[in-house]
Amino acid sequence: MIKTSLLTKNFQSYKKAPGISGSIKSLFKREYLTKTAVDQFTLEVTKGEIIGLLGPNGAGKTTLMKMFTGIIVPSSGEISIAGHVPSQREKSFRKKIALVMGQKSQLWWDIPAMDSFHLLQKFYEIDKKAFENRLEEMGQLLGVMDLLHIHVRKLSLGERMKLELMASLLHSPEVIFLDEPTIGLDLIAQENIRKFIFEYHKKNNISIILTSHYMADVHALCKRLILIHGGQKAFDGKLSTFEQILGKDKSVSFSFRNEVNDHRVFEQFNPTWSENKTQVDLLIPESELRNFSAQVLRDFPVIDFSTDKMPIEKVMKTLMKNPQILNENL
Amino acid sequence: MKHYLDVYKEFISTNFSVSLSFRTSFTLLVLMDIFFYLSTLLTIEFIFQHISSLGPWNKEQLMFFISFMLVIDNLHMVILSESFWVLSHQIKTGDIDFILLKPIHSIFAIFFRYPRPSSILNTFLTLGVLFFYGSKLSLDVMSWILLPFLVLMSFSLLAILEIIISTSMFWMQEGLGINFLRMQMQQLSRWPDYIYSKMARKALLISFPILLVGSAPVHFLLDHSEWEYLIGVLLANVIFFIVMVTLWKMALIRYESASS
Repeated sequence: MIKTSLLTKNFQSYKKAPGISGSIKSLFKREYLTKTAVDQFTLEVTKGEIIGLLGPNGAGKTTLMKMFTGIIVPSSGEISIAGHVPSQREKSFRKKIALVMGQKSQLWWDIPAMDSFHLLQKFYEIDKKAFENRLEEMGQLLGVMDLLHIHVRKLSLGERMKLELMASLLHSPEVIFLDEPTIGLDLIAQENIRKFIFEYHKKNNISIILTSHYMADVHALCKRLILIHGGQKAFDGKLSTFEQILGKDKSVSFSFRNEVNDHRVFEQFNPTWSENKTQVDLLIPESELRNFSAQVLRDFPVIDFSTDKMPIEKVMKTLMKNPQILNENL
Repeated sequence: MKHYLDVYKEFISTNFSVSLSFRTSFTLLVLMDIFFYLSTLLTIEFIFQHISSLGPWNKEQLMFFISFMLVIDNLHMVILSESFWVLSHQIKTGDIDFILLKPIHSIFAIFFRYPRPSSILNTFLTLGVLFFYGSKLSLDVMSWILLPFLVLMSFSLLAILEIIISTSMFWMQEGLGINFLRMQMQQLSRWPDYIYSKMARKALLISFPILLVGSAPVHFLLDHSEWEYLIGVLLANVIFFIVMVTLWKMALIRYESASS
């Protein structure tokens, strides 16, 4: 369904010194810089698959999404989406895809969403009956039927995002690109959007590429995860494999009744202490978990204790700080 | 074609919804247009109180030319004007991304997206003025039949030339200078071709034929023996349409969108 080979995108910009003198200088002489946003990226996604594309800011995720949808043209490499080359921008291709950007809106600000939906109906040549059915179906699922006739500018961010999703899916696309669809939303709104995407995917068996900074999105929706760093693919595999990338350590948290002053025993397990030193998070190898936990419970005033496999947030955070770990572990 | 008409109907509908949400602005725009049309006509009236002819044309002929250009201007205001002004912002902010995804030609989706409903009311006014001065000149039947066709050809040539100018925004990003250049070109077409020097006239009739927009059709309507003007408008439409589409394709390849 989605295939890319050695996809590369370079952008050119220029350096400018600050202030008026810098501006005047740049008028006559500019030092151009070429930045490689995506570097030889190869990927294959099958029909019905939903994958999470993760990476820090500036890693190249959005650039990839824009190349996938044909908004920008790659500097080199090949892409095929549902049998089309996106940069050729064929009408049939544009009817097969949808892009949702959490930070941009395709709804008209000054009119109710329903007016924008009617425009989209004409753009995508959606049959009237099918259009009404899809509006009803998605509107009910997202719980926004009573928002359709309210001016978009009067809606909350969460309500607008739900309507953005509806707008993007009205034409029943085969491939959906979700670029941070839950950004800026509160926890309940995030959960609603995730639930909707999950249900929609289950029902329609479409391919979805999702980028998000919220690991909960990835956890809830994706079995496969791709990590992009510095424009290059750093990891491509199952979510469960990713979670064990730093080894089979367990994430353990101890809460104490009083402040703990002697930290020596915890030093070997990469401790993260709370400000008042009454709580510590540790990464403990599976083999040592039992003995060490018993020791802490015996020697310290523990009031709470929890353990979890390495949470994806921690893996991401560690990898972002030390990307070389990927090379060592893969 | 039906697809485009259906979409355009929705463009009009959504823009009406937006415009009528801001009633005072809507009324002001209608009044400003009327003020512009009246001041243009009164300026010519005033000039002809002091002279009897301007070049080869007398007062009625020049008023016919001016009213022809007012119709073109009104069509421009109704159909295209707003879109030109927002294009630069759309390119800089990446707002154009969603437009490029729509399954319709991007030139249409970008330049025809913001029809200006307030100017539609004045279409009747400008057409009335054109018919008034046309009947004062006692145009023959052929001229009356060709008039709507020539208005459309002139409008389409103006649109093509302005889109060509605006396409440079994809390279330059900042569109203010480009929009002023576009407006200046439009301004040049608002006067008859014969007022310009030989060199300038040649350049503006052939190299960048902005003078063909108004002068050429009016020359032909007033004197059918000047058929070369008619051919010129038709040829310019074809040639510059090809140039526009080619440049547009290059611009879209050049487009880099904006960071999110």
